[in-house]
Amino acid sequence: MEAAVALERDAQLMLRVRAGDDTSFAMLLERHRGPVVHFLYRMVPNQAVSEELAQEVFLRVYRSRATYEPTAKFTTWLFRIATHVALNSIRDRKKEKGHESLDEELLDGMERQVADRQQTVEQEMVHEVKRREVRQAIEALPAKQRAAVLMHKYEGLDYSQIAAVLRCSESAIKSLLFRAYESLRGRLAHMA
Amino acid sequence: MICLSRNEQGAELLASYLARTLDTAARAELDGHFETCTDCRGLVSVWERLDEFKAPEVTPGFDARLYARIAAGEARVSAWRRWLWPPVAPVAAAVALAALVLFIRPPDAAKQSSLTSNNAEIELVAQAVDDLDLLIPLADTRDR
Repeated sequence: MEAAVALERDAQLMLRVRAGDDTSFAMLLERHRGPVVHFLYRMVPNQAVSEELAQEVFLRVYRSRATYEPTAKFTTWLFRIATHVALNSIRDRKKEKGHESLDEELLDGMERQVADRQQTVEQEMVHEVKRREVRQAIEALPAKQRAAVLMHKYEGLDYSQIAAVLRCSESAIKSLLFRAYESLRGRLAHMA
Repeated sequence: MICLSRNEQGAELLASYLARTLDTAARAELDGHFETCTDCRGLVSVWERLDEFKAPEVTPGFDARLYARIAAGEARVSAWRRWLWPPVAPVAAAVALAALVLFIRPPDAAKQSSLTSNNAEIELVAQAVDDLDLLIPLADTRDR
């Protein structure tokens, strides 16, 4: 009973999903939909693909409900699935030819939509260039480093969680992150 | 203070600073260091630059699409269950038969093994007899 009380809220919700409560699944979806889609968008990065992958992640969560055990934090488990799905997608996309130009077009259109309409054209162009440079710098990182940076910087996962997601030791993750930030510093030095 | 990025402990401290998990005093100490260290300042600057990489909002139909896929998946599973249910008895019978065959096999194998062993013994005896036959002419010669 005490163990059940000590369980984090997400794990409690997932246990209710396991017991057949679909409302709890809706609550989990509400809480984690944004972070998972955003993480996948920065991994891929293409909105349509990232949402498709996020659907795959939540489908896997739902289909695994019967065997779910709260052995780790729910977000660790969730991001492990998301990272697995993202890395598979990146690997598959590398095999395809000619997708880069298509993605660039899609991404550019999307980023234009996101841009603040109130900005002047000039300001928008400056921001657009900065966004593109940051995105390209992150995209240039090896996939594992990219995943670690995205979880650390944007999703607020701590070292132990990132280590669990990527199946590394905490010290390996610290070293991995540091190399990634060093690499980003080299690529984005002109923006400082 | 030497550049934090030059050793593992310093790098860890720097990463904690970036993740805003340091207390005020430790944070202030690092702020002082950044005023004189361009490398560390560069890393902090990179961290801030990463804020430029915004992700778009999730499209409105996301949940509906997901629930439709879940429902379709559940329907498929139910259909498979309905389809698989009647042949369960024949499959169980086949498994039982296979298990029976496995039980019967070991005595055969033992018998086979025994036969192989017997054959080897016969061969040894035959070889010994052949050797004895070879000795007989020699004995005959000596008798003469």
